[in-house]
Amino acid sequence: MVREVSESCVESLLAEIVLSYCSGFYANKPELAARRIEAIGFQVGHQLSERYTMDRPRFTDNLEAIKFICKDFWSELFKKQIDNLKTNHRGTFVLQDNKFRWLAHMSIDPSVQASGNIQDPSAMAENKSAQATGMHLYFPCGIIRGALSNLGIACAVSADISNLPACSFVIRIKA
Amino acid sequence: MIVCVAVVGHQNNLLYIQSFTKADDALKLHHIVHCSLDVVDERVNNPKKSGPIINETFLGLLNPTENYKVYGYVTNTKVKFILVTTDLDVRDVDVRVFFGRFHSAYVDAVSNPFHIPGKRITSTKFAERLSTIVKSFGLTSGT
Repeated sequence: MVREVSESCVESLLAEIVLSYCSGFYANKPELAARRIEAIGFQVGHQLSERYTMDRPRFTDNLEAIKFICKDFWSELFKKQIDNLKTNHRGTFVLQDNKFRWLAHMSIDPSVQASGNIQDPSAMAENKSAQATGMHLYFPCGIIRGALSNLGIACAVSADISNLPACSFVIRIKA
Repeated sequence: MIVCVAVVGHQNNLLYIQSFTKADDALKLHHIVHCSLDVVDERVNNPKKSGPIINETFLGLLNPTENYKVYGYVTNTKVKFILVTTDLDVRDVDVRVFFGRFHSAYVDAVSNPFHIPGKRITSTKFAERLSTIVKSFGLTSGT
């Protein structure tokens, strides 16, 4: 039985989680807030990976597990696959999603974006909005890390949003 | 008849064990489960020896002792399921079906947000569901 969740509900919930952690519980400690949001994602990813790997043969190496994240896991979450996977064959993987769904409805002030490079104060503002967007990415980062760690791969995951709405996740596997 | 089932975590920590006998032989059954973990490790780490079932979650018959047959199953997340049965002519198909159901019951149990990963499964619903699965073992595909 396939159960679906309304996308707008998830988006609102995510926005609310970020809001309450960043300006409620840990208003003065953004790093702590980020860690807590990441931890929530970790648990979600941990549990989802258990379910989504149910009918699969066991993975033989890390690449296979990463491919699973790119294809099946991403399809289950976002109904699309990762658009581009790069690796240096030494434990670093870059997963690029050209239109990351959870950022698709994120509005970033266009005037700030247009004049961002000219004036210093508006560049600061852009930096701020990038920071706010970054806060929303700790959750998906946690999901990836949780899924991989449940599959026996200890890693660190970070996100890069230099060209929205594309988003890349960098996975560094700990040796 | 199934006499014992167990769930063992990825660090060989016991997550759940349940025996289904009236007699007072729980200790013996637990011992069998623990012994079979070595065989599971061997199969997982040296997949060549196990022949055609390479990388499959179902590991097949682990070790036949005088009275019991022990079957194993490993998930992608390195969680092991162990089944001890007294039936001597068990069909692999039945065991596969059993483990498939067992696995979905386990997934549902650990998806509970109040379950702490790596800790024992205390859900009574899981226990109930498991005993239903155990009771229906071998009945589905006809005997």
